[in-house]
Amino acid sequence: MSVAAIGADAHDGVDQLYVETRELRLQGFLLFLISDCVLFSSFIFAYLYLRNSGQGWPPPGIQRLDVAFAAWNSVVLFGSGATMHYALENFKHGNFMKYMWFLLATIVLGAGFLGGQAYEYNHLIFGEHVTWWGSGIFGASFFTLTGMHGLHVFFGVCYLSVLVLQSAAGVYTKGKFFGITAGTLYWHFVDVIWVVLFSIFYLI
Amino acid sequence: MNAQLIERLGAVIGGVVVAVVAFYALYKDWQATGIENQVFKLMLVLLGVGAVLALLAGLNIVGFAPKGA
Repeated sequence: MSVAAIGADAHDGVDQLYVETRELRLQGFLLFLISDCVLFSSFIFAYLYLRNSGQGWPPPGIQRLDVAFAAWNSVVLFGSGATMHYALENFKHGNFMKYMWFLLATIVLGAGFLGGQAYEYNHLIFGEHVTWWGSGIFGASFFTLTGMHGLHVFFGVCYLSVLVLQSAAGVYTKGKFFGITAGTLYWHFVDVIWVVLFSIFYLI
Repeated sequence: MNAQLIERLGAVIGGVVVAVVAFYALYKDWQATGIENQVFKLMLVLLGVGAVLALLAGLNIVGFAPKGA
């Protein structure tokens, strides 16, 4: 698809239904993100409550999580947030090829983050014998929260992959690209959730 | 060079790059209006903060580091 092709709508006009419903779609999507935020908040506050109600953290017999690898992996995810932002900006400005490259970079970085998380899980479970089911509150809260976040990243990668296919097929135009906006909002959301998780599990 | 040092170096360099990019994008979008742009601005601030935290963790200023790291 050429740059010119995203400059005009497929039917050489504005999709009236899209124009009328765009704000509603945006509000609906923001409500979805808020509900997801509530879900994460409830788990995060449960974790913090349990952490502060015990005697010392982490519980005896469990090593503190090493921050170096987590910091590196976090930067990979935060970098994907930056590339996704520039993907949307390039699409808005009609730079289709740059948009595609930034979108692909986001997918690669997101998959890289998931690979890093799998490596860390492998190290914890088989190296340090910290498990979801056998390490008390620490294991349960760590694997539940980071696993839930990882699942969100995985769905995000799937969503962005669909965006690549749809964009290549010419589904989005300069005046009609809510799917890309929603993808960017979602991806920023998973980034922001990781800022909180990274802070509470590795930094404090 | 051990693995810890490489990870920390990656976190520091990546943290600087992402923080600069996030805050620059925020600066460029500061005048933008509309609900989605306000959300984007909030997210960019938090993204920048996250990058700075990762940078500080890479520098061993915050977070836990095992002995010998």
